[in-house]
Amino acid sequence: MGAAGAEPGPRHGREAGPGGRPRPSAGGAGPGSRSSEWGGRGGAARVDPYGFERPDDFDYASYEAFFSRYLVVLTRRAIKWSKLLKGKNSIQKSLKVKRYIRKGIPNEHRALIWMIVSGAQTNMEQNPGYYHRLLEGEKNDKLVEAIKTDMNRTFPDNIKFRRTADPCLQHTLYNVLVAYGHHNKAVGYCQGMNFIAGYLILITKNEEESFWLLDALIGRILPDYYSPAMMGLKTDQEVLGELVKLKVPAVAELMERHGVMWTLVVSRWFICLFIDILPVETVLRIWDCLFYEGSKIIFRVALTLIKQHQAFILEATNFPDICDKFKQITKGTFVTECHTFMQKIFTEPGTLSMTTIDKLRETCREKLLSQG
Amino acid sequence: CGNQDCFRLIVLGDSTVGKSCLLHRFTEGRFPGPLHSDPTVGVDFFSRLVEIEPGKRVKLQLWDTAGQERFRSITRSYYRNSVGGLLVFDITNRRSFEHVKDWLEEAKMHVQPFQIVFLLVGHKCDLVSQREVTREEAEKLSSAFGMKYIETSAKDATNVEESFTILTRDIYELVKKGEITIQDGWEGVKSGFVPNVVHSSEEAVKPRRQCIC
Repeated sequence: MGAAGAEPGPRHGREAGPGGRPRPSAGGAGPGSRSSEWGGRGGAARVDPYGFERPDDFDYASYEAFFSRYLVVLTRRAIKWSKLLKGKNSIQKSLKVKRYIRKGIPNEHRALIWMIVSGAQTNMEQNPGYYHRLLEGEKNDKLVEAIKTDMNRTFPDNIKFRRTADPCLQHTLYNVLVAYGHHNKAVGYCQGMNFIAGYLILITKNEEESFWLLDALIGRILPDYYSPAMMGLKTDQEVLGELVKLKVPAVAELMERHGVMWTLVVSRWFICLFIDILPVETVLRIWDCLFYEGSKIIFRVALTLIKQHQAFILEATNFPDICDKFKQITKGTFVTECHTFMQKIFTEPGTLSMTTIDKLRETCREKLLSQG
Repeated sequence: CGNQDCFRLIVLGDSTVGKSCLLHRFTEGRFPGPLHSDPTVGVDFFSRLVEIEPGKRVKLQLWDTAGQERFRSITRSYYRNSVGGLLVFDITNRRSFEHVKDWLEEAKMHVQPFQIVFLLVGHKCDLVSQREVTREEAEKLSSAFGMKYIETSAKDATNVEESFTILTRDIYELVKKGEITIQDGWEGVKSGFVPNVVHSSEEAVKPRRQCIC
């Protein structure tokens, strides 16, 4: 295992170029650069700007059609954001910022904005050296072993996470997870956190920032998804079921009739925050809002996926069909078109107040507890 | 399941023993390989038809489960509605074999009042040189718990088809003999036309099956 030892990995600056071995395509720049989407063959590269290899059946034609339109949006947003930031590295939460975030944070500012709006920046500044002390401290062998088990299994389709990559992000990932497991002992390590930390590392290119962002997500934004009893996760899956009953009753009825438990079709959505479920760019746009607005964004996304595909889901006539439909609704143009998709999540499900969610969380939690 | 018999099977075992690969091989006929070996979080679902005797086909609903211990709080709710299970360990990982008993214990606890027919699967048998569990000791353990034992490899497809077919056939025989009966509110077996199903109200309330696991 290449990731042994807990030495803090190299702290990449945000401006650091792409790691890993040369890409198979001619696209050269890092994820911040729009031009990196275009390989030498005049099309989207075989490896995306984040290092993920595109699958063999990747639909280049429709992706390119989408991306050429999205490029216009990205350019407009980049101008708006640079005016907003005026070269400063700070921002105050405000309605304007919230609106800007819903329209997408440009990749070059993404790490910074996530850090600020999630409170991770403040925590990092108030606890200088803390992260490195965690890495230098005594380790729980069981925890370390559980994390090591997943090193080669985290994004095997990403060239930067290959054991052979140089620099190899497995080391960074290992450090972030080990530090986090010792920081939040009640949670330790739960599969799914590896993917989340992996995304944070790809975006921040900075180990310590990834750690504090992971802490923002697991410690504050998500309610108890990863602790051994997974109570928050189970609760939220039930909450989604209740919301579907209210907002898409026909689908709720179908699930009920065929005895499909929500956890079967959506556990991955919650645990991995849509990683490997939705396209990378779409996931990042969702996370932009997640860091600012909190966990209710997850319900918005889930409800949008379900409501938008209501007719399609209702075609299912049996249990396996339903499961299959739920796999299919996370694929295709609707989710690739991330900008339109993000507009939809704020309109399609209708109003969704935090008060409603809190109430549902309370009743669902009680129900789960009484079931033992 | 339409007019087909339908069995629900669960696949259990430690993290990294190869449960998902086994299922991919069985349902899609391919080995995902190291590029698609990310851990299963929560539960995943597959299905496939198998022919257990000429002209007799059974639809299998297959539940893939996360191996990491904490996911048991989610996966355990699936035991109850499963009629059969593949209990998988990795023949190159001694510890995964030692945990077989724990998995049985765990399943037994949560399957009440029903039972599951288990097949013990020694996986990754293509890696003979790294073997840490002998066939003899695995067979000994399996017979002690009334299970059959089979060694499989998703990589070279050894016994993958056989493992699912054997388990399905055994369950089918138990259904035929009436040792497993279809019940309302239980999803383990759904029937199109399973023979010897008694649809009397008396039959329906009778306690089901002897302990097989």
